Amino acid sequence: MEAASGTAPVTRVALVEDDREARARLAASIRSQRSLQLVAEYATGAEALAGLESVAPEVLLVDLGLPDISGLDVVRFAASRHPDCDILVVSIFGDEANVLAALEAGAHGYLLKGSLQRDIVLDIRDIRNGGSPLSPIIARQVLKRLQAPSREPLAAEAEADTTLTPRESEILNAISRGFSYAETAVMLGISVGTVHTFLKRIYRKLAVHSKTEAVFEANRLGLIR
Amino acid sequence: MRPVAMAGLLLALALALPGSAAQDPAVHVLEQGEFVPDDRRLPPPEDAPWEPVTLPDNWFLSHPATRAGWYRLAFELAPESAALPHSVYLPRNTASRIDFFFNGQRQGGNAAYGDPGTRNFAPPLILTVPSPLLRPGRNVLHVRVVAVPGIRQGLTRVVLVERHWGRPLYELRYAIQVLMLLLFGAAALLCAVLAASFWLRERNDAVLLWLAITAFAWAAAAFPGLHAAFTPREFFHGPLAFSVRFAYVAPMLVLCLRVAGKRWPLREGALWVFTIAGLALACFLDEDREGGLITCWSATYLGALAALLVVLIRSRQHGRRWTSWPLLGALGAAVLLNAHDFAWWMGWIDYDSFQLAHFHIPLVLFAIGATIIDRHFQAFAEVGRAKAELEGRVAEKAREIEASYARVEEAEREKALAGERKRIMADIHDGLGSSLVGLLGAVQSGRASLPEVERRLHDALQELRLAVDALEPTDGDLNVILGNVRHRMRAAIESSGVHFRWQVGEVPQLDSLTPGAVLAIERIVLEALTNSLRHASARLVTVTTQLDGSWLQIGVSDDGIGFDEASIVPGRGLESLRRRARALGGEVEIRSSLGAGTSVTLRLPFERSSVSPVRMA
Repeated sequence: MEAASGTAPVTRVALVEDDREARARLAASIRSQRSLQLVAEYATGAEALAGLESVAPEVLLVDLGLPDISGLDVVRFAASRHPDCDILVVSIFGDEANVLAALEAGAHGYLLKGSLQRDIVLDIRDIRNGGSPLSPIIARQVLKRLQAPSREPLAAEAEADTTLTPRESEILNAISRGFSYAETAVMLGISVGTVHTFLKRIYRKLAVHSKTEAVFEANRLGLIR
Repeated sequence: MRPVAMAGLLLALALALPGSAAQDPAVHVLEQGEFVPDDRRLPPPEDAPWEPVTLPDNWFLSHPATRAGWYRLAFELAPESAALPHSVYLPRNTASRIDFFFNGQRQGGNAAYGDPGTRNFAPPLILTVPSPLLRPGRNVLHVRVVAVPGIRQGLTRVVLVERHWGRPLYELRYAIQVLMLLLFGAAALLCAVLAASFWLRERNDAVLLWLAITAFAWAAAAFPGLHAAFTPREFFHGPLAFSVRFAYVAPMLVLCLRVAGKRWPLREGALWVFTIAGLALACFLDEDREGGLITCWSATYLGALAALLVVLIRSRQHGRRWTSWPLLGALGAAVLLNAHDFAWWMGWIDYDSFQLAHFHIPLVLFAIGATIIDRHFQAFAEVGRAKAELEGRVAEKAREIEASYARVEEAEREKALAGERKRIMADIHDGLGSSLVGLLGAVQSGRASLPEVERRLHDALQELRLAVDALEPTDGDLNVILGNVRHRMRAAIESSGVHFRWQVGEVPQLDSLTPGAVLAIERIVLEALTNSLRHASARLVTVTTQLDGSWLQIGVSDDGIGFDEASIVPGRGLESLRRRARALGGEVEIRSSLGAGTSVTLRLPFERSSVSPVRMA
């Protein structure tokens, strides 16, 4: 898109996808944009884990259905290794279960497989601008997950880290009702950038929340002493 | 009879006095003396027609026509004994008037039956004799008696003892004959109050009422202080005090019958007539004639008690009615005690013996109370057993219901699953299947251009994604459902360049939205939006929601070229919109005219209360 090109700095993109054709299509889409630079392509999870040790992309596209390990493991690794990297999972349906799991693993959004080329570029532009669009269904799930206080107070600081502030709840509520980020910003009297900032914070809370939950579960099962 | 009476008297002495007082020569039981009928106030002279007499002297037997007379009794006192004050003691104080003259000097007497409150119980009498009235050697005691022979008045044995022995003798007799009965009277009063209060709460248990009446009647008889407080003094001394002694006769017998489960209205009526007529009659009879009434009453009561006992024993033997052993025992005791007193009344046994008939009433009341309590416990146990049985049955029923409910639930679930499977099949067939078949045909015929194929494939994928989204949990939140359509069409909206207005207000949740209904709503909105974006050449597309009565409206409108409603060709997609809306129980309204844009309104019924009827048909 014209808006994304021009003098804007080039965004370095890496790709993890086992299907050769799909990978080729994605690569072509990225290469077709001057604002995007494809820095690495991985066909398996192992390759990705090895490669990402040294390569530090700004945007990482991960297919969840890898032959060797789960795409979620790649997401987790990349999120801890490159905290500033925006991770998008590639999904056919963008369905709630997969996307939510990816968000919890540290991803910041998702790409629909089979989207028109221009849509993929649109999504990458969005995520660089602050966050990929969250579907109302998923926004609602996040709201439900982070709003309810934990069943048992694990630790006070963890609690504060993972529950939504009223503002965050308002934003998620607007998104779940189908409003765009711009409309949400107008409704709440804040800038679009602020909405993005809030969303990133929400993603982080979601990831922390899932970890806390895991610790809680492990504690409950007696795995951690 | 005399040795027996003496033994009884000595036993009483032994009970009342420490040591071997009974053998003490200082105890003078005066039984031999002389009597002269005479109504003067001072002892008759020596030459009066004295005749030998033996005490006790029951005037009903010895001189029924006499109303007043004098006794002369002589006794010897040792010199050391004569220096001490003495007591004169009578086992029963039953004469209208008794005056004592020791060696010619008057020393008090009874005051009209002594204590009026205890008259009904034949209390004993005691009087102190100061030592100056006595002298060593022979002493003479004159006793003046005014009595009513008809009601068995007369003079008992006269006992003269040193004062410190006389008092215990009197108190023992008083405790047995009077105090105990007063206590029983108080207990009967309590029993009456309790039974009455129970009866007030449980009116259908007549036994309680009879128990209350009987206990109260007896308390009235046994507790003369009670009616003395409420009746004029002269009346108290007259017929009422007399007649209340028998007020309990009818209720008592009726009560026993009821406890035994018998209902004999005729006999009960006769008992009532007998008692009430007797009470009424008593008011008109003088004291002498009351004796005949008492004879009649006592005999009937005794006979009725005996008959009742026989009836109850026989009914117990036949096992028809349950009668408690305590009641039979108490009735047996009642027959014996009343027989004893009847024998006394008739003069068949010693005149000085105790009067015992009163004691049967506490016994019977106690037995009836025990019977009632026992029955209540049995009833409780019965209720407990019934309750346990009922609970068992209820639990069994609950298990059955639960099981059948589980079966129904399982069947429902299977039915729902089958329905959902059918729906998904239909969706694939109508949606994706027909899209792909159409596309295949277009590709095979070579009619479709590559961008056209891409677009139609994209639509098919879109279709599939909506179908997947429809399976996500939305909790019937229409906002989320509409938002999802917008989200899925984001790329198309942005690339079309139209101005998009999202005027979606908070709408109530539709609790019973099935995935099928969700998908139908999404398809309708998707189709309306796609039409506006692709075919209308619109600059502005608006999506609105609105609540209108019991309808929820979702509107998609544009400012595009529109079309002429009259020339609309069926099957251009609009008809499928209508069909889907009808399946939802709603309707679609399409308004358009050339150059004035198009508006599509989906109207869905919902109930404001809670659940929505929106379902796939």
